[in-house]
Amino acid sequence: MGYGNTGKILRVDLSTGAAWAEGFEEDFYRLYPGGKALAAALLLREMPAHADPLGPENRLVLATGLLTGAPLATATRFTAAARSPLTGTYGESEAGGYWGPELKMAGFDAIVIRGQAASPVYLWVCGDQAELRPAEHLWGRHPDEVQKAIQAELGDERIRVLQIGIGGENQVRFAGITNELRHYNGRNGLGAVMGSKNLKAVAVRGRGRYLDLAHDPRRLSELGRRLAKEAQEHPLSWDLHVKGTAGLVAGLNAGGILPTRNFHSGAFDGVDALQWEAYEKNLLTARRSCYACAVRCKPEVAVGGRSSPYGGPEYEAIAGFGSNCGVDDLQAVGRANELCNQYTLDTISTSATIAFAMECFEHGLIGPQETGGLELRFGNAAAMLQVLEWIARRQGFLGNLLAEGSRRAAEVIGGDAPFFAMQVKGQEMAMHDPRGKVNVGIGYAISENGADHLVAIHDTMVSNPDSIGFRGALGLGVTQALPARELSEAKVQQYWIYENWSSAEKSTGYCYFGPAPRSFIQAADVIASVQAATGWEVDLAEILRIGERATNLARVFNAREGFSRQDDILPARLFQPLEGGALAGFALSRPDFDAALTRLYAIKGWDPATGIPGFERLQQLGIAWAIDFLPPHP
Amino acid sequence: MKLHLGGHLAFYEAHKRSNLEVRLNGSVLLAELLRDLNIPCGEVALVVVNGAQASLEAATVTDQDQVAVYPPIGGGNGSHVQRS
Repeated sequence: MGYGNTGKILRVDLSTGAAWAEGFEEDFYRLYPGGKALAAALLLREMPAHADPLGPENRLVLATGLLTGAPLATATRFTAAARSPLTGTYGESEAGGYWGPELKMAGFDAIVIRGQAASPVYLWVCGDQAELRPAEHLWGRHPDEVQKAIQAELGDERIRVLQIGIGGENQVRFAGITNELRHYNGRNGLGAVMGSKNLKAVAVRGRGRYLDLAHDPRRLSELGRRLAKEAQEHPLSWDLHVKGTAGLVAGLNAGGILPTRNFHSGAFDGVDALQWEAYEKNLLTARRSCYACAVRCKPEVAVGGRSSPYGGPEYEAIAGFGSNCGVDDLQAVGRANELCNQYTLDTISTSATIAFAMECFEHGLIGPQETGGLELRFGNAAAMLQVLEWIARRQGFLGNLLAEGSRRAAEVIGGDAPFFAMQVKGQEMAMHDPRGKVNVGIGYAISENGADHLVAIHDTMVSNPDSIGFRGALGLGVTQALPARELSEAKVQQYWIYENWSSAEKSTGYCYFGPAPRSFIQAADVIASVQAATGWEVDLAEILRIGERATNLARVFNAREGFSRQDDILPARLFQPLEGGALAGFALSRPDFDAALTRLYAIKGWDPATGIPGFERLQQLGIAWAIDFLPPHP
Repeated sequence: MKLHLGGHLAFYEAHKRSNLEVRLNGSVLLAELLRDLNIPCGEVALVVVNGAQASLEAATVTDQDQVAVYPPIGGGNGSHVQRS
């Protein structure tokens, strides 16, 4: 009788070459079932304070979710976590695809990697055996070649490969990680962490079955069959299947919150070239899936008429390389996305850092001398693509500077440049404007890993009581639909529920686009899936607590590194009015936002002055041990 | 009248089309037209008629109009934000 996990974590020390398995008990998993929860617990316990993110003391955790590998639509995710080289905070990013399920079926819930190899290596995990193999011959090569080479040299094309591209090798601070060429742990620079460790790839082959790990495999299978059917019959999952998130462009533009020219405006006059009809006609060739997922939302594309091995742009890349850079050329957007995927650079941070550089150029803070003669202005697609190449290779003054991220680049450039860096704690904002959706602003300010748009459901999804989004939120204990730009006590209380729910998704292995309120899997079914997998009598409150516990562990990690309320801020531009679009003239109100954060800290049981978790809440969450990691009281 | 059903609104249309042409005689209430097309009003967050935002309850449309409706995610109603 299983409980949904293997009970084993693989430990790897790249400095010594050792790899060994460690067992954990079921009661440990009940608190930290997987994904974000497991990663945060391991990192806080094991990471020395003030470890250099690009040094040997940093740990990289790759943690499957509780349900990852189960025959459940959208439950395919795993978390990559480490101290982020971009922000210096607890860093994390989730990805779907096939690698996470394969690791679970190989017999491990997670891998924890420390140290640094003397020369490039890759880790090969085959069933419950693991070894490090030389990777000098793979260093400098692109993911499609590397994946084939590893599969060939190990003699099995069913091996799943997680890896970094040259952006990670060059330790670009926002380099990410890819698995199976189409799935990305994009944010926070975890690819740079792998690069700094000389770790090129992790190849995995498993032969187990998730159902053999489950407490009630029959109930889990039945649920999986029903969800697979519902995925095809529900409007939200249907929309994701037909358009992916590329379908968001037109609606966000009409609503006045499509980020345009570095968040100056909320509507882009070139939007017709970027919206769904243009994408379907000029880029899309097919749809693919993640492991066992019936939503099947992953776009395949042809860029410049040539089929791409790396998967097509989603909303963030379309807005990031499109409207936010002032570019109305969809082929250029497709190419920028493809390059990011090939180099494993985060599309959000890369596009936002280039938009930052464009604004600096427009204001004369950098000029042709720094850009090698390029007219790096909004709208110049060719310049955008050239700078992207320089960033991946840290080439030239500008490439090397921008590879550090917009915050560090702004400090070097000086003058008004910091105002143009749309970042929180050093990570660039995603392509969602809080001036239209306040929960997104709270999430950007407070998220442990810097500005992140997947911290809580976006307000607009749940602001109409007659909508399916709001009806899905009822299952989370929410009772009232509130307007998207309201910042009341009631709104903040709801934000806290949504944040805990998202954090629980990241721990159980669900994709953001699986459960309600964003998509079709109702809360009752999420709870039922955890019960069936584990045999635990969990209810909604326990699921939300799993999420809250994970967030608090990450918050304590940050407190130990010196982060506090004063770092929970938003870029000044968001307190200035949008310059164009349906919400022109709207701005966030600083006093209202500060008051909302103060209320939120109180709801969370954090000190309202410092934003640091209080002892009482940590005890209530069953993590009193985390108290020892808090900085001493002043 | 040209009608664009944004996002998942196209799911409800009989043939799941995103772009329709609807022949209209005279002026009709958009909300009624959407009901006739089986588009649930609870899913409509934003209405744009000939490029300008309009209210779902009040908007009337004729054969010459270009209309787009979008579900939540694209913005919405709101308050509590200062205008400059």
